[in-house]
Amino acid sequence: MEEKDLTEKESLQIIQQMIETAKHEQKDDGKGWIAWGWTLFAISILTYFNIQFGWFDVAFFWNAFGVLCGVYFLFFLLKILFTTKAQRVRTYTKDIFDRLNVGFFIFLILIIVSINVGVPPNKGFMLLIGLYGFFVLIYGTALDFRPSIIGAYVSWAIAFAGLFIDQFIHPGPLNNLPEDAVRAVGLERFQWVMLFHALAVLCGYIIPGHIAYKEFKKIKKGDIVSSV
Amino acid sequence: MFKDLDPILHSQLRLAVMSLLMSVKEAEFTFLREKTNATAGNLSVQIQKLKDAGYIDVLKQFKDNYPQTMCKVTPTGIKAFDQYVKNLQAYLTK
Repeated sequence: MEEKDLTEKESLQIIQQMIETAKHEQKDDGKGWIAWGWTLFAISILTYFNIQFGWFDVAFFWNAFGVLCGVYFLFFLLKILFTTKAQRVRTYTKDIFDRLNVGFFIFLILIIVSINVGVPPNKGFMLLIGLYGFFVLIYGTALDFRPSIIGAYVSWAIAFAGLFIDQFIHPGPLNNLPEDAVRAVGLERFQWVMLFHALAVLCGYIIPGHIAYKEFKKIKKGDIVSSV
Repeated sequence: MFKDLDPILHSQLRLAVMSLLMSVKEAEFTFLREKTNATAGNLSVQIQKLKDAGYIDVLKQFKDNYPQTMCKVTPTGIKAFDQYVKNLQAYLTK
């Protein structure tokens, strides 16, 4: 590249071009959202059909997912401890997301433990959806990514609606029903919880993730600076 | 009366490097080379000039047995860049 005298307009163009290039670097490829979203979606739907057809224990797929997450977390921890990957560029947003991810998973574990020590699963899952919404809202705001912001509000709407599943599915006291019938009502309500969860994941993670991936591919195609 | 534009910043490559570094926290030499399409030699010279002016910090280290040069804009660099943009705006609105 040869140095030449710059005009004021050329200076401004260089500044704009470089800032735009750096902004592209902060774009997310959406792959993480897609993988995480489809996994949660699949488990919700599998759990729905598991209840319907009685294949395994009700929580079988969630427990299996928990074990897989544990294994992955260990692998991830070891990778961090024993490998040092050189980062080409550090952005302010990436630093925020690294910390946000830690906070998200700690809160996620807190809710999951709560469900296991007494919080009713029907309500616990709505808290999980609320957490998803909070996470994608921060993500969408930091990256100025509208689909995630919309996804966050939709997730919260689903979470609120989901809190009233018990009032809509077989409303009224269940005390007079035989034990089997009470269990059947509980399972049916949980099936609805799974459908709500799948819908929230679809709106909060999967759809924005695919849009982000599409935009990322488009940006990468045209992200070659020809002359500076 | 318009102020003179900072000669350190009023150069194609140095301005490009500063603009990139203003938008990120820190960046590796290869990243800057790729984004500016400059040659390694020229980029090294211009980075050294920015460093001598106190506009950027350059950290040379080893990662996985490979040398890595990280660049980061300093508070002096931020101030100079802000002033440069203000002066530029004054020129353009005249």
